[in-house]
Amino acid sequence: MRISRSLSARLSTTILLITSALYLVAILTIAYFSQKMIAQEAYKNASNVLNATIQDINQTLDKVESSVNNMNWIVTEHLDDTAYLYHITSEIVASNEEIEGSAIAFCADYFKDKHYFSPYSYHDVNSNAIYSKQLGNDNYNYFEMEWFTVPFHTKLPHWCNPYYDEGGGEMMMTTYSYPLLDEDGNVYAIITADISLAWLAEKIRSLHPYKNSFTFLLCKNGVYISGDEFSLVDNQNEKEKYINTDYYLLGEKMASGDSGSLRIKDKIEYSFAVYGPLHNGWSTAIISPYKDIFIYLLRMNFIIIIVSTIGLFLLFVLCLRIIKKITQPLTEFSVATLNMAKGNFHARLPQINTKDEMKQLYNSFEYMQKSITLYIKELRSTTAINERMESELNIARNIQLNMVPTEFPDNERYAIHATLQPAKEVGGDFYDFIEVDDEIFFAIGDVSGKGVPAALVMSITRAAFRFLGGINLTIDKMIEKINNTMCQRNNSKMFVTMFAGKINLKTGVMQYCNAGHNPLVIRHPDGRTEFFYAQTNIAVGISNGFSYELEETRLEKGTRLVLYTDGVTEAEDIKKKQYGEQRLLNFVSNLSDSKSAEDLISDLMADVKAFTQDAQPNDDITILTISLK
Amino acid sequence: MNVTINQEGNKYNVVLEGRVDTTNAAQFERDLQPLMNAENAEITVDCSAMNYTSSQGLRNFLMLQKNVMAHKGSMVLTNMQAQVKEIFDITGFSNIIKIV
Repeated sequence: MRISRSLSARLSTTILLITSALYLVAILTIAYFSQKMIAQEAYKNASNVLNATIQDINQTLDKVESSVNNMNWIVTEHLDDTAYLYHITSEIVASNEEIEGSAIAFCADYFKDKHYFSPYSYHDVNSNAIYSKQLGNDNYNYFEMEWFTVPFHTKLPHWCNPYYDEGGGEMMMTTYSYPLLDEDGNVYAIITADISLAWLAEKIRSLHPYKNSFTFLLCKNGVYISGDEFSLVDNQNEKEKYINTDYYLLGEKMASGDSGSLRIKDKIEYSFAVYGPLHNGWSTAIISPYKDIFIYLLRMNFIIIIVSTIGLFLLFVLCLRIIKKITQPLTEFSVATLNMAKGNFHARLPQINTKDEMKQLYNSFEYMQKSITLYIKELRSTTAINERMESELNIARNIQLNMVPTEFPDNERYAIHATLQPAKEVGGDFYDFIEVDDEIFFAIGDVSGKGVPAALVMSITRAAFRFLGGINLTIDKMIEKINNTMCQRNNSKMFVTMFAGKINLKTGVMQYCNAGHNPLVIRHPDGRTEFFYAQTNIAVGISNGFSYELEETRLEKGTRLVLYTDGVTEAEDIKKKQYGEQRLLNFVSNLSDSKSAEDLISDLMADVKAFTQDAQPNDDITILTISLK
Repeated sequence: MNVTINQEGNKYNVVLEGRVDTTNAAQFERDLQPLMNAENAEITVDCSAMNYTSSQGLRNFLMLQKNVMAHKGSMVLTNMQAQVKEIFDITGFSNIIKIV
């Protein structure tokens, strides 16, 4: 069903989201710290490589320097043997494989007949032999070359900037110059050693801490040597190209002889540089792109992301299945509930093999099924009993309503009409009348209480009245007999209020006796209406042997009597307000003379109904009216 | 209907409040039960707060009266409201139950 699917999907999605968030945090944390660690490692690594290289180059430079410096005193001793000077230079070249050439350049006219004199030996790459020659002439005026002029003036050893030696080594080179001083401290010659920059380039080309690392040397005059090329960054355009970039900053730091590291941004790529000075005032740097440094980290992250994505997907599917399986019984319970709602109380319940809340639900559900089944069964039998009782009560009602006369006389001498409306199926009110020899016997009564007990007493009372009506007794004696009968075996203390009378139609004389009943309403022929208060005797059924008092009055023709039980005057509306005697009196008073007895009854009932509205009747209502014509 | 019974020895002070009608007559009968079998009970019923009684209520008073008499006791209803007194008068109950 849809509901259970959405539940499992919802739960699984929530779990997935939470797990993903945790994964993400973990991955980011790992990535952050790994990156930091790797960056540190990379810096350390690059620095180590750089320092080793610097040391290596410095060693070579030292060797070159000492090869030259050591010849100082030998030259001094062989100044008179110019041929030997050539030997010295060739010795210098031979002593050190890095040295491509060596010269002892004398100052101008040091030897009287020689303006230029510079014995020079060099290593010929093709024949791998050492040749010597005199270097200086008008075409090769070494007095103006850096390697000569700087130490000549400073009287200090000097590494000159890289240059292309035309007419000398015929290659890109740098030269170490060492000035020879005479006793007066004046420079009379410079000993030199040439080093091919190809060698240096070769050295730094081998430096590759990372795949795309780039190493270079920076000389004092801005010449820049990388593994592949030499270039001079001394023209203005080139400089401007780099101004305001991290490279320019790096260049400045290197030129100042510092060592350290620097982060470099080139367009969108980031790199870092480590740099340090060489022994001869040059500086070297390794630039390594972060892309290379972090390539393994990136690869690792990529793999982690793929693995965790697959893992999360599997987790989601697994959750979905497990939750669906767990909640499956709920679906079946829902079907069972639906079936029960449709009336199938034996709806099949899902099989539960676990001992968890689902089992509890199963137990409760099963208990509910049994309870409801039992309850329905009881309800059915109760309903059956009730229905039987109801049907019996309906029969009793019919019997009771048929006990009282329902055919009403309306002739030239008098008219009688009455109504009896029990509050329940059966009631305790009654009325009766019989015409015997120009005399009308009539009675109205109200048994205390209502329902079946009252109805039983009512039927006895009414039967007694009927029976005694046929015997020639005065009304008071009649009531006494009824009272005495009722008082025997009346343990439940039921009593009857009753008004009974006998009207002689010839004389209009009414004999009557009131046993605790309400006063009746009398409407005189002139329309005057009042309560007719009779002597109050005790209600019937209370006092055995009580002596009832008979009274007598004379009624004129055109008189109307309205007898009623307290169900009329005490009829209540929903606010418990009673209909009242005054309203009854007003109703009778306002009647038109021509109103028939039947209409009087129905109009009065309508008036009571109009008063009580929707309130349930709380007592039996009985009205009996007699009109004398 | 609210029935309050205070007993001191064989003297009972009963206070009735509200109305007795079809809906609560049975309860009223149960409420009066403690008085039914009291020996030599002298019962005073304060009716000042009782506004109405139906014929079933009258029957309850009648039963109480008979039971009290059977146990050699006495019962008097006091401070009865006019419209309630009228019901007792009409039915003749005033003649057999003492009302002051």
